[in-house]
Amino acid sequence: MSDTKVSDTATISLRGVCKSYGPVHALQDVSLDVSRGDVLGLIGENGAGKSTLIGVLTGTVRPDAGSLDVNGTHVELGDSRTLRELGISVVVQEQSLVDALRVYENIYLGREGEIGGWGPGRRRRMRDAAQSLLDTLGIEGLRADAVVAELTYPQRQLVEIARAFSRITDATEAPVILLDEPTSALTETEVEILFALIEGWRDRVSFIFVSHILQDVLRISTRLLVLRDGRSIETLSADGVTAERLHELMVGSERSADYYREGEQAGALSTNPLIELRNAGSTGEFESVDLVVRPGEVVGLAGVIGSGKASVAATVAGAESLSTGSIHVGGTVHEHWSVPAAVAAGVLYVPPERALDSLFRSASIRNNISIGFLDLIRHPWTRLLRLRTERERTTELARALQVKAPSLSTPIGELSGGNQQKAIFARWQGRECKVLVLSDPTRGIDVGTREEIYGLVRSMAASGVGVLLCAESLEEVIGMSDRIVVMKDGVISAELAAPAEHKPAEVDVIKHMM
Amino acid sequence: MTQTLSKQSPASDAAAPSGARGLLSRLDQHRNIVVPTVAVLVLIIYFQWRTESFITATSAQNILNQMAFLTVLALAGTFVILIGGIDLSVAATATLAGILIATWIDKFGGPLAIVMVIVAGAVVGLVNGLITTMLKVPSFLVTLGMMSVLDGISNTVSKGGPVSYNSNLLQNLVNESMIPNVPNGALIAILLTIGATVLAFGTSFGRHMYAVGGNERAAALVGVRVRRTKLAVFAVAGAVAAIAGIIFTGQASTGVPMGAGPSLLNSIAAVVVGGTALSGGVGGPHRTILGALVIVLLSAGMDLTSVDPYTQLVIKGIVVIAAVALTIDRRRYGVIK
Repeated sequence: MSDTKVSDTATISLRGVCKSYGPVHALQDVSLDVSRGDVLGLIGENGAGKSTLIGVLTGTVRPDAGSLDVNGTHVELGDSRTLRELGISVVVQEQSLVDALRVYENIYLGREGEIGGWGPGRRRRMRDAAQSLLDTLGIEGLRADAVVAELTYPQRQLVEIARAFSRITDATEAPVILLDEPTSALTETEVEILFALIEGWRDRVSFIFVSHILQDVLRISTRLLVLRDGRSIETLSADGVTAERLHELMVGSERSADYYREGEQAGALSTNPLIELRNAGSTGEFESVDLVVRPGEVVGLAGVIGSGKASVAATVAGAESLSTGSIHVGGTVHEHWSVPAAVAAGVLYVPPERALDSLFRSASIRNNISIGFLDLIRHPWTRLLRLRTERERTTELARALQVKAPSLSTPIGELSGGNQQKAIFARWQGRECKVLVLSDPTRGIDVGTREEIYGLVRSMAASGVGVLLCAESLEEVIGMSDRIVVMKDGVISAELAAPAEHKPAEVDVIKHMM
Repeated sequence: MTQTLSKQSPASDAAAPSGARGLLSRLDQHRNIVVPTVAVLVLIIYFQWRTESFITATSAQNILNQMAFLTVLALAGTFVILIGGIDLSVAATATLAGILIATWIDKFGGPLAIVMVIVAGAVVGLVNGLITTMLKVPSFLVTLGMMSVLDGISNTVSKGGPVSYNSNLLQNLVNESMIPNVPNGALIAILLTIGATVLAFGTSFGRHMYAVGGNERAAALVGVRVRRTKLAVFAVAGAVAAIAGIIFTGQASTGVPMGAGPSLLNSIAAVVVGGTALSGGVGGPHRTILGALVIVLLSAGMDLTSVDPYTQLVIKGIVVIAAVALTIDRRRYGVIK
């Protein structure tokens, strides 16, 4: 299948890269070549090792093994400065611009002297340089002296791209631009600008293009590298490859039905909805959403980032409010739906960003668990917390969920991500749960803990809990759900049944996401 | 709702490390309580060795009196620091409360006047809280402004001079001793500390306070009514600061404008030396009393050993910095601002 021979003029050549984080092999013997004229599409699912590989190329991740040759000479890995000076620059997903500074200041941040020279007039020279750069790149409607904080998200993305291009000069040894999910935040016109740029600069710069959006990858790439579970599965020419074929390569042969305990999947136990969104809308996030969660069923929310799925999940949990439509709990309308109201009604939420949304890092594991049910352990008369009950309950819950820690007095921040997440689940196991709202519940968690969490979700569903699962991993959504609600641009684009014996294929879900 | 999930070994909750290393690591874990306790003991032993009259009844009473006021004032500040804010107006609230009690005690009678003053303190705190939560102005700035406002009101009420009163209720309440050699003021401080500790660890409100201070966003997402908790914390801080003011006036026997003002920095130092982090969510009232004891022992001891007052300032400053440097757990902070 790998029919493109590596050209003799490979600009950079990465060989045999390995990297482990504890027991997890993020990368195993991965190699990669790019040369001028190349646009290398790098694809793989979440956790396949793309980010680690990008980290290695930019020097933020030091690999356990592997070597890098630039134009035939050996270069030390793991030092971002060396790699940057060689000309390898990156446009990242998480934007790295300084909000308070202007566009030209951001583009030349740290290189002011180099570009603007010294003495009076430096700012003007930098601004002119930036403006002519933007003009050369064909980026219109963006002034070099605009303050970044006032720009839209896609405009900022263009500034990042311009910054990457500004590093390329004739003297650059290895001009490589890494684009990490550059198009997911861009509108169609801006995507066209970017693609025109890549086309126009291909003979001078090599590109590595990382994206979930397979159509984009297929359109712009000349070669493709597919990663799965930290290994390179295929390097192939992009000619004549279909999105379906790429998917097969990314996902592997089949989804493991055991992993998601699909055998235990039972579907709704009753037709009466536990919670229901009717014609719901939230300004700028989603509109006219109708969603029902019934007892015992797992409803999956699928969609790309920005499709509004995470916002829908947060709204059901009371964390965001509706601007139109209504929310019905057990058949009655709730006017003032909020997190405290949701918790009281048994609608419990596990939010996406564990560190930001769930953890009290310096508090003990015990306090992190009991915060979910303090109202239930109060003495009826004195209103004081029954500390012994608290100790017993938390110990019991931590044991049931296999939270591994030296002691429950340990600050939760000292635990691994998986154990932290189990403690977060333990928090809600302490009270009666009717609807469990999960937003990316297995993000950054090891495989073993994932399995435990899936098992827990299954047994909760079997006991009559309705589950709303929103996740980045499509495989997870398909594997876990009875029913999949697909969102696109803030509206529901499809609703697919996903019974254990007849799961939809990823492609069938994806076509409604794009 | 408890199910076994896989065949791995169950969590061991009580397996503490054993032996001398275990003890050391446990001491290290609790160093923010160990450090101030050791400091108190060292100070007592050192000054006793230097003067041989440090642990006498008179000197102890003097120390307890100073501690009473500083502890209560620092307790007020502790609550706000625990939610990640800071209340710079506690001392000014105490001053105003001291003036008000002197003005009202003969007019309304002792018990009613005390209740009124405490309510007034709570109202001041509530205003601080409302401005921080509703207008989203940082508590540092709100209470900095409030400090000036309150000083102005205090001086207006007292017409810029001391306010005398006839009632001997405060004398009995603060300076007499129900327990021999322990002035009632110190007793009040100890009881308030116990009460505040129960409030902090034994009630939902207290836990919510730590949650808000530790991670406000997570607190909101777990169902804590963040705004309500903050308002209550500011109100409690105001009420406790008012009690500090009543103790102050009882000890001085007159209401003094700007009376408690100079103690603001000492009270913050007491909180921090006790081991409550200014970043919020860590620490507690039980630590504040230790911190106050360190500060008071240090100044009383230096007075007795006739250390030059200017040198005293230098030493006190160094102690505060050293205490924080020893107490703070740096692993927890990526960035020190």
